Amino acid sequence: MKNYESLVKKIFPVFAMLLAISLFPVFLKNNYYLTIGCQAMLYCIVALGLNFIVGMSGMMTLGTGAVYGLGAYTSALLSTKLGVNPWLALIPVLVMGWLIGKGLGFPSLRVQFVYFSLVTIAFNEIVRNLLTNLEFTGSGTGVRNIPPYSIFGFEFNTQLRSYYLIFAFLVVFIIIALRIAKSKWRRAFIAVKDNPEALEVSGINVSSVKITAFTLSSIFGCVAGALYAHFNRYITPSTFTTDLSISFVVMLIIGGLGNFWGCILGAYVVAFLPQLLRSAGTSYKLIYAVLMMLAVILFPNGIMSDIRRSVGKLINNGKGFSKGGGIGENRTGN
Amino acid sequence: MQAVILQLAVSGIAMGFVYALVAIEYTLIWNACGLLNFSHEKIITMGGYVFVGTCLFQLGLPNIPAIVLAVILLAIFGIAIAALIFIPLRNSTRLIAVVATVMLGQVINEGVILIWGSVALMPKNFLSGVSQILGATVSKSYVYIIIVSIIIIAVLQFILKKTKIGKAMTCVSQNKTAASLMGINVKVSMAITVAISFGICCIIGVLTAPIFTVKQQMSTMIALKGFCAGVIGGFGNLPAAIAGGLILGVVENFAGLILPSVFKDVVAFALMVVFMLFFPDGLVGVKNRIQKHIAKSQMEKLS
Repeated sequence: MKNYESLVKKIFPVFAMLLAISLFPVFLKNNYYLTIGCQAMLYCIVALGLNFIVGMSGMMTLGTGAVYGLGAYTSALLSTKLGVNPWLALIPVLVMGWLIGKGLGFPSLRVQFVYFSLVTIAFNEIVRNLLTNLEFTGSGTGVRNIPPYSIFGFEFNTQLRSYYLIFAFLVVFIIIALRIAKSKWRRAFIAVKDNPEALEVSGINVSSVKITAFTLSSIFGCVAGALYAHFNRYITPSTFTTDLSISFVVMLIIGGLGNFWGCILGAYVVAFLPQLLRSAGTSYKLIYAVLMMLAVILFPNGIMSDIRRSVGKLINNGKGFSKGGGIGENRTGN
Repeated sequence: MQAVILQLAVSGIAMGFVYALVAIEYTLIWNACGLLNFSHEKIITMGGYVFVGTCLFQLGLPNIPAIVLAVILLAIFGIAIAALIFIPLRNSTRLIAVVATVMLGQVINEGVILIWGSVALMPKNFLSGVSQILGATVSKSYVYIIIVSIIIIAVLQFILKKTKIGKAMTCVSQNKTAASLMGINVKVSMAITVAISFGICCIIGVLTAPIFTVKQQMSTMIALKGFCAGVIGGFGNLPAAIAGGLILGVVENFAGLILPSVFKDVVAFALMVVFMLFFPDGLVGVKNRIQKHIAKSQMEKLS
């Protein structure tokens, strides 16, 4: 019975959060906020994937924007130029994610920390340049008139409908992420960061673990990109810049590295905070950037882990430090 | 044909020197604080805006005093940034350090938009016009870039090798504990290094202003290619960075002859990825390997 109780304890917050996200459109029917809500959910999916690389395995990639963009372009080009059903186009998108994962995972085996960030920046710039300059990707104007997803003639063409479509995908990805967070993969990912030698001694192949992390992450990113393409129905290469990649990493750090809740919180903060700050007038972007920088410098372990710590202290009321064994929790040391 | 090749060579060498300056500028901070300054792109842009927007347009100064004032302003800004961000961050996690410098770049970018607006500025009658060299028409700004870069590199070499401050900087970059034991104030030395680095950033902004015009994205490409130059030469090594920059500039320009112009920017990054994967130490590593090989074969001959 005790096992069952702890399971409920762990599952309950996830349900509460999903309920909150699903009820969001009931309170804010404004199309503008719905669009940002959709974006926040897409960011959640990417952040959950990125967590495997940056959060758990501790490799700093700044090329996620390109992964997201390649997913979007794969699906958009297939459905506009070849008339492939967007649902069927998800298969090539998954293959694309798998390929990128293998391709980016390979340099991660050979190059060290900051150099790896440079390689991924180069990857992002190569992709953006090619998307901007190649003829069949629509050059700088991008791809227009992308068809929305549809089931039996029911088109997900309004903001509200796409909101629930993306929500369904988010649920699927959250389940996958939670399952992985409970599996041996997560432990292997964390060991790659903390002690690769010990991992090798235990008979686990470090390179295959790293490549697995990359493949998972880029599949998450590519699917989110495809959803974005069919939600926005118009994509340009100027969306998928290094700045986008940076904001994905910022999401993780704001929330707390390697932390499931941190990913969700970070994605929502990055999506909504600029909109809330808009009342400050022309300088809102500066305020946002300063806030983000301060958050990174002052809370290097993430806002979420600090909240968790103080809540844990309150609950235990001096009975000692909470075990912090939440879902996907990983305290980031140095 | 000969004229075209000469033209490409001159502009390639000029851009190569720009990349080399970028590489020098972040290598200085890398050596001193152990941080890779991902915000340097925005600082170059800021240098351009301070020079054109403030010194030339608002204060109406002549060219030379305007450049000097801009460089001094940026150096002071560099000391402030060093005290606030770079020096406190030098002991933090590498991941946090990278993101913090990236976010610093965003802050500077938004600040620049707020102060000078998001319009492109073009300095009038500054390094403009063309000159004839051996029958080839070359833009004067390229010639100036080459001359000024050589002067900067020479001055920097003089400072690092001959002056007390420069020797202290070199010492700090090699061993911080030993430096502080020798009575060098490590933090002051770091601040001076950052100030010099920001000054060089400003000069890059000034030099490239006539080519790219002063706008938000003016330095995105040169900043990233500066990283490529560093990797190709060998990271953390100043002479290697210069060599890497020159090679990159020339190769990239001549690649434009063979490949479609679409791939011009891609060449640099592809070259960088190849070097990262197969020659991670850059040209320095290759040189060391060859030297070792020669020494080995000589030893074998002797024995």
